[in-house]
Parts: sequence; C-alpha cells; structure tokens
Amino acid sequence: MPPPADTPRCILIVEDHPLVAKFYSLALERAGGFTCVVTEDVTEMLAYVEAGRVDLAILDVSLSGTEWEGHTIDGVELAHLLREHAPSRLPILLATAHAMAGDRERLMAASGADDYMEKPIYDAAHLVEKVRNLLRRNS
Amino acid sequence: MESFIEEMKRYLGFTEEDAAVLRSLGPRLVKYFPEMSERFYSQIPFHPNAFRVFTGSEAQIQRLKHTLQLWAAGLFRGIYDEGYAQERFQIGYRHVRIGLEQKYMISAMGIVRAYLNECLVQEFPATDERMEMSRVLGKILDLDLNLMCESYMHATVQNLRSLNEQMERANRELAGASHTKDEFLAHISHELRTPLNSVLGFSKLILDGLCASPEEERQLLKDVFASAQHLLGLVNDILDIGRIEAGKMVLHVEHVGLRDVLDSTLPLIAIQAAEKRITVVDETADLPLPAVHADEVRLRQVLLNVLTNAVKFTNEGTVRLRASYPDEAIASSDMLHMPCIRLEIEDTGIGIPPEKREVVFQKFVQADPSHSRRLGGTGLGLAISRRLIEMMGGSIGLESGKYGRGTLVWMTVPLAVRQQEEVIQA
Ligand code: HEM
Repeated sequence: MPPPADTPRCILIVEDHPLVAKFYSLALERAGGFTCVVTEDVTEMLAYVEAGRVDLAILDVSLSGTEWEGHTIDGVELAHLLREHAPSRLPILLATAHAMAGDRERLMAASGADDYMEKPIYDAAHLVEKVRNLLRRNS
Repeated sequence: MESFIEEMKRYLGFTEEDAAVLRSLGPRLVKYFPEMSERFYSQIPFHPNAFRVFTGSEAQIQRLKHTLQLWAAGLFRGIYDEGYAQERFQIGYRHVRIGLEQKYMISAMGIVRAYLNECLVQEFPATDERMEMSRVLGKILDLDLNLMCESYMHATVQNLRSLNEQMERANRELAGASHTKDEFLAHISHELRTPLNSVLGFSKLILDGLCASPEEERQLLKDVFASAQHLLGLVNDILDIGRIEAGKMVLHVEHVGLRDVLDSTLPLIAIQAAEKRITVVDETADLPLPAVHADEVRLRQVLLNVLTNAVKFTNEGTVRLRASYPDEAIASSDMLHMPCIRLEIEDTGIGIPPEKREVVFQKFVQADPSHSRRLGGTGLGLAISRRLIEMMGGSIGLESGKYGRGTLVWMTVPLAVRQQEEVIQA
C-alpha cells in the first residue's frame, strides 16, 4: 500500500482512551501513510479544522475529558461543531464502544457522521480502507 | 354533589310525606319483628354460602335475631338522612367483609319483604291504609337494599383500585429492574471493548509487521499486557458484582488478625507508590491491632482497592493509614451494637467533591471519569467494597482529608469478640 504521491492526508483523532488513540494513529500512519493529530482539546481541534488542515475526523462518542463552553461534549455534538467550522465538508467517522442494539442508527442520525465503527477496532488495514473510502467519496 | 341517599330518594320518589307515613304507621309493625327474625333465620342458614359465615352456635343466631330486629326498627325511625345512609351502608359492609355476595342480600331482602307484606294484611285491614303503607314500605326496603349493595360497589372499586396500584407498582419495579439490567449490560459491554481494542489492535499491529523497531514492538507489548490486566480486573469485578446481586456472594467470616491483613496488603501498593514518589505511612505500625470478625480474603480486597485508589489519585504527598476505636455512640447506632475498629486511609490527592461522595459507591460511577480513563479502574471497586464491608457488619464512607484536601476513606470492621465463625451470604 504505497502512500499517495501528494502530501499525506491528515486525520484528526478525538479519543479519550490514550491507548486506543495510540492504536488509531499508529495504524493510520503505518498502514495508510496518513498523518494524525491526536487531541481532546476543542480549541486545538477547531484551529486545525479552520485552517483546512484536517481531511477527516475520527470521533469517539463518549468523551470524558473534552469540554466546550463550560460543559463536557460528546462525539455527537463535536461532529456538528467541527462541521460548522470546517471550510469544506468534513468527513466524519464515528468510533464507539456503544454496541447495543439501536446505538448505531441513533448515533449516526444524531451526529450526521458518514460512517460508524464499533470497538474493538483492531485491524489496521480495515481502518485504513474505511478512511480511504470516506475520503474518496467526499472528494 | 348530590349524596347517594339523596339521589336514591329522588329516583325512588321517596318524599317527606313517605317519611311521615313510615314514622306514624311503621311502629304498628314492630310487634311482628320477633316472628320476622325467627323466619329470617330459619331460612338464611340454608343460603349456599351460609356455612362460611355461621359458626353454628346458638348464641350467634340469637344475637343476629336481635340485631335484625334493631335493623327493622331503624326502618321506621323516620329520619332518612346522611347518618341513616352511613349506618345502613355499614351493615352492608359487615357482610362484604365476611365475604357474602350481593345476590344473597337481595334474596334475603325478599324474605323480609314477603313477611312484612303478610303483616300488612293482618295489621291494616283498611285497604287505603294498607295500600299506602305497602307503597312506602316498598320504597324504604329498596332504599335500604340499595344502601347495602352500594357498600359492595364501594368495596369492589376499592379492591380494584388497590389491585391496580399493586400492578402499577409491580410494573414500575419490573421496568426499573430491566432498565437497570440493560444499562448494566450496555456499560459492561462498553467497558470491555475499550481494553480489548488495545489488546487486539496492538497485537495485530505487531503481527502485521507494522512496527518500526523492536523497541516499539516491546512498548506495544507492554500496552497489550497492561490492557489485558485491566480486562482481568474488569472480569473479576463484574463477576463479584454479579455474585453480590444474585445473592451468591459467600463470605467466610472468622477471627482475623488485622495486623496480618495489613502487613500482607500494604506491600502490594508499594511499587505503584514508589513509582509516583508517594510516601505510604502506616500509623498503625506500632499499635497492637486487634482481631476482627471478617472474611480475610475479602477484607484484603477492600483494603487493596481503597489503597490503590489513594495512590492512583494522588500525584504527590502521602497516603496514611490510621486505626481508632469509634466512641460507643457512633458504634451502636449504625453497627448493631457490635464494637468496631475504624480504619482510615487518607491521601493528599485530587479529592472528591462532597456531592460525589455517595455516588462513587454506585456501580460504574466515577467522580471524574476522565481521570480513571487515564488511570485505569473499573468503576466497580467501591460498589463491591461497600457491599463486602456491609456483609461483614461494618460500613464504609468518604470524607475530605483532614487538611481540607485529598480524600479520606473510612471503614469500620467488627471486632472479634468471641470465638465465632460464620458463613454469610448476600
Ligand atoms: C336483608 C338482608 C340482611 C340484613 C338486613 C342483615 C342484617 C344484619 C345486621 C343488622 C347485622 C349486624 C351488623 C352489625 O353488628 O353491625 C348482620 C350481621 C350478620 N349477618 Fe346479616 N343481614 C342480612 C342478610 C344476611 C345473609 C343473607 C347472611 C348469610 C347468609 C347474613 C349473615 C350475617 C352474619 C354472619 C352476620 C354477623 C357478621 C359479623 O359478625 O360481622 N346476613 N346482618
């Protein structure tokens, strides 16, 4: 899997479990040639997004440490916030450990995300393929 | 709103004149009452359900014959007001309470009616008078029967209402229980998937040959190991909670030397504490500690849980362990008069705001979830600890640290007073 010829695409990773975030970024960098930004800080995310430096965002649904305007926000809310600030349409991949019946439909509808993954997500190639598909669809 | 008796009187066309007729002519029937109650009670005991309500004793029948005469006399008292309604309603209610159905009252009233009509013929030879009395007597007997039957309606409605309430309560409880269970399952599923993600993800990265160096491989393996350990902790905690909630947690309570328990528990946190440069001070070290009445394994589990939390949530400073004997007043109020020892584990860590001090003992509740994300922990430890300590007859709670910062966890454990050994099941 050769990395694309032009500058690598940048993936924003918002995930409150450090080891899970570490896995995403390693997998995407090594198996897909992407660059990754890992942060839970909304101001930082918005700076990246507004500057047009983010090509796709992977958002965890339950975010314990992410605050915006004085309250903790989850991936669903964050999806809307990032989209509002992105200069062009931002593809969003929701990743969550909520895997009970109905969660998928509910969370997809509420967030407007493009795709959805249930944890455990552990296959680097599969993750890369999902991300590539979304980038292709969005271009 | 119109009262029941007013409504019935209107429906039956029962007027003041009718009342006056009963008042003036009724007393002439009183002399027939002894005979009436004889007839009544020669027939009533043959009602299909009578065996249920008659003891068969002569005394009971004699008493009832008397009360029936009193009841009949009441028909001619001439004041048919709310008080009358209440009194007659209550008579019906007596029969409801002994389980006599309405239909028996209706046919029994038939006996009374038939006999009183015979009496009319004898007592009132003048046709006018007899017709007048017959008409009014019909109305008052109908009124009385209605009042008695109303008590059945009343009782039935009450029964239905309380049955309904019972069912609603049962429904609510069921819905609550199944909701709690669903929530618990969703939570467990969520909690298990996260460490699984790391175990599977990192090992697959290594297997796929995606690591940059052997050092990186080694680091990832460490992460795999830590996540697998976390998983094991989760599985153990979930099993414990499951056992407790199913009432299958069995404790073997016996004489346990508290010194031994502490000495075998404290070293388990030494490494973690040393890594964070936190001093663990055992203020009980020089005290003669008593034997307690506890399950040794489970007591150690609780202590380890509390000590681990103290180290985990403290970034610098000390974790102190203290022991004391609470005064009698406290001891007797919440510990069923069992003398206890009180242990305190105090840290200089991030502390828990007062409003969170109770909820952290609930399942999957953490004072600040973001901390435990980073620091590990299942969110079940304190819930399990509380149940275990309570099963041993003690209690456990939180206070803020002595100097206004950090957390102080206290627990009481019953002292071993006499030689006793028990198996306690939740
Ligand atoms: C027109 C029908 C009836 C009238 C007017 C009548 C009247 C009364 C009265 C005035 C009492 C005493 C209540 C009191 O102490 O507060 C009573 C009690 C009793 N009646 Fe009747 N009764 C009737 C029908 C029946 C029938 C059909 C049965 C049985 C088949 C019956 C069985 C009894 C019994 C067992 C008691 C005693 C209840 C007790 O100890 O609580 N009655 N009745």
